[in-house]
Amino acid sequence: MKAVGASTPRYDGISAVTGRSMFVDDVRPVGLLHVKVLRSAQHSARIARLDTAAAAAMPGVRGVITAADVPRLVVGALEAQGIPGDEPLLALDEVRYLGQPIVAVAAETEAAARAAVAAIDIELQPREPFLDIRLALDPDQPRITPEGNRFHYEKHVERRVRRGDVERAFEQADVIVQGVYRPAAIEHAPVETQAAVAIPEPDGRITIHSTTQALYYSMSIVAEHLKVPLGRLKFVGGQVGGGFGGKVDTPCESVAALLALRTGRPVKYAFTREEEMLCSSVRAAWHIEIADAVTSDGWILGRRTLTLHDAGAYSRLSPYGTNKHTFHMGGAYTIPNVAFNSYVVWTNRVPSSSMRGFGVTSASFAIETHMERIASVLGMDSWELRLRNATRTGDISPTGVRLPDPSAVATLRGAADAAGVRLEGAYGAMTDARGPGEHIPEHLLPAIARLQVGA
Amino acid sequence: MARHRGTGLAAIEYPTGMNQAGDPSQVWIKLKPDGHVDVFTGTCDLGQGSRTVHAQIAADTIGVPYDWVTLDNSNTDSSPLCTGTFASRGIFVGGNAIRRAAVKAREALLDVAGEMMEVDPADLTGEEGFVWPLGVPAKKMSVSEVALAATWTYGRMITGQAAYMKPFSAPDPDTGECEPHYALSYGVCVADVEVCDETGDVQVRKLVQVYDVGRAINPSLVAGQIHGGAMMGLGLALLEESYPDYPGVEHRGGEFGSYVVPSPLELPAMEDRVLENPSADGPFGAKAIGEMASNAQPPAIVNAIHDAVGVWITELPAKPERVLRALRERAEPVRRGKRVVFDEALSVRATSSLDGAGWLLIDD
Repeated sequence: MKAVGASTPRYDGISAVTGRSMFVDDVRPVGLLHVKVLRSAQHSARIARLDTAAAAAMPGVRGVITAADVPRLVVGALEAQGIPGDEPLLALDEVRYLGQPIVAVAAETEAAARAAVAAIDIELQPREPFLDIRLALDPDQPRITPEGNRFHYEKHVERRVRRGDVERAFEQADVIVQGVYRPAAIEHAPVETQAAVAIPEPDGRITIHSTTQALYYSMSIVAEHLKVPLGRLKFVGGQVGGGFGGKVDTPCESVAALLALRTGRPVKYAFTREEEMLCSSVRAAWHIEIADAVTSDGWILGRRTLTLHDAGAYSRLSPYGTNKHTFHMGGAYTIPNVAFNSYVVWTNRVPSSSMRGFGVTSASFAIETHMERIASVLGMDSWELRLRNATRTGDISPTGVRLPDPSAVATLRGAADAAGVRLEGAYGAMTDARGPGEHIPEHLLPAIARLQVGA
Repeated sequence: MARHRGTGLAAIEYPTGMNQAGDPSQVWIKLKPDGHVDVFTGTCDLGQGSRTVHAQIAADTIGVPYDWVTLDNSNTDSSPLCTGTFASRGIFVGGNAIRRAAVKAREALLDVAGEMMEVDPADLTGEEGFVWPLGVPAKKMSVSEVALAATWTYGRMITGQAAYMKPFSAPDPDTGECEPHYALSYGVCVADVEVCDETGDVQVRKLVQVYDVGRAINPSLVAGQIHGGAMMGLGLALLEESYPDYPGVEHRGGEFGSYVVPSPLELPAMEDRVLENPSADGPFGAKAIGEMASNAQPPAIVNAIHDAVGVWITELPAKPERVLRALRERAEPVRRGKRVVFDEALSVRATSSLDGAGWLLIDD
């Protein structure tokens, strides 16, 4: 039997459901130390005083690190894309979100580490938090950074996508439909929480057992924090107990590795469920506004969008997710005239980061709810509106990509069939390729002409 | 009190991969002396089954049975680089690296077999553990025999290594022009819901879902993605929120008892169909299903709620208090000339100071 196309059982299916698969939590080297972390009790504060001497002298405590002990404190998640980092591994002189790590303690037992964290002498001077992304420019609102509350892309503050002549499309429209869409921040909620075990090896290398979704990416982050070459590190992992994008973050590995170097002992840093829920990154909350220029017979001539992405306290992967969001604000449709604008906005909440569907989940929600509103405003059938505007073979995407093999029509027709919906007339015979006799409205002609000359 | 039925539709597209600075995957493969295959890749398996699917691709490409293949993605000393398991890139970028490396391993295998049979390797073929001269299956030789001879007679090593990557295409800052994806997948969801107008409770009764995955390398793992993704989408639509008072920060749930995820109680009937519209560049035509499987349910469910009771829930999740408030308010869009404006009070123009100055608004 050929393998491709066969429903071969997942290699670890049985071992996972019978509890025999090995995860980071199962790594228990002799002499293992346990990490607990002092976290910010404020949404926003200046660190006025920090003294770890008493904690370091507690029984069972073997290592205490603060920002001063990190060789390279700020490492950006997107440095490979030329985006400088903004988030310290441990807070230096301020905290920007509730739960931000400030001090890490390694001790013989979890209880000893917890007791030492409680003994740390810290004074936080709370500041008013900034929380509503729509108010990012309001003069009476707090500022997350001296430069303000918005991330700046390379040339403009916002990520832009432009195509065609959107002003003309809005002039020509019979109806302009506007709406606002606000999907919530949610948890990744993996069964396995974030965790790392760092083991100092006799040859001076450090082995790091990690829950990461990206071994080499996370290894490069740790190498930067520690300022060591990649050869000094060995990442072990590859089997993850639920990631959903949350384990692209590398929150435990560098701290565990630094404490392993400091103590010469294996060190484990694993998030509790509460830390996983409250202190690890979330799927962002988004604010999305759409205005569509529509003809009374259901052609979408143009679209303008305004998106605000709630990045939380630091950028992490948000500029990447917001790029992806903006590239896909056209949805499964060919809209030849568009102006999409998206902003990454910082707030005093836990940083958001990648999660399944990063940037596009929110786009799909906004676009498809908006499509239904257009159908209701026009009194048009939901299926016909979508089929009419569906991306077809050879159409150009909002970012200028010629699409060789879209299946918007095939999937819609398949779903209609499965749902027992009868598509009337020409809609029942549509294919992804535009038929020779098929009506092409005037607004699509320039795009198709560009295509025909191979532009 | 009455319960109202409604149906909602959503059609989506989703990119396979999202190259924002070069995102290679690398693979190397070696054959043991009995022809069994070791594949080394850095691709993490999150439970979605990439390890299984990658082994399937390697098996058919080299031409050995699936159970001859082991796949080691366990550590960075032996596994070459994979940028990571994200952006729905595992099947396509990781899978293409596997396929390319496996093609090279097959070539190395056929080289040795050609020498043994005194046949031009280009005239050899093979599958499922055997190689033979094209058109002469009677002369077939087992891969084990070839690997054995390669090791002990010819002193050669049968390996293959390859990387796969699409060059980075930076977005134009003024127009956004770029080509960041490897392929696009499409999907449609039809949600059938029941809404209680007294409690605001929404039950999803059925989800009909259709996805184009290019080629289902492993149909049961594709179904797993579709069903798991559907439940995640249902959670997004109806249940989950990290900040119940958003944008306030109070009352966050710190455990599964206070942060509600979908359970088998919410499991609706599901009917799914998989379309195979092969991607020209995908391994065996495959493209992604992973992330997109949780994107179509939230709008389909919200549209079904509108169909059932005539209100739009555009702030997620559509929890009972939101549904009840919407039923009480029965908000209508504002009509201004040819503009039909929904949710005006939520907009940046309405909420920010100075009428939205400093933002590129949608109605400027």
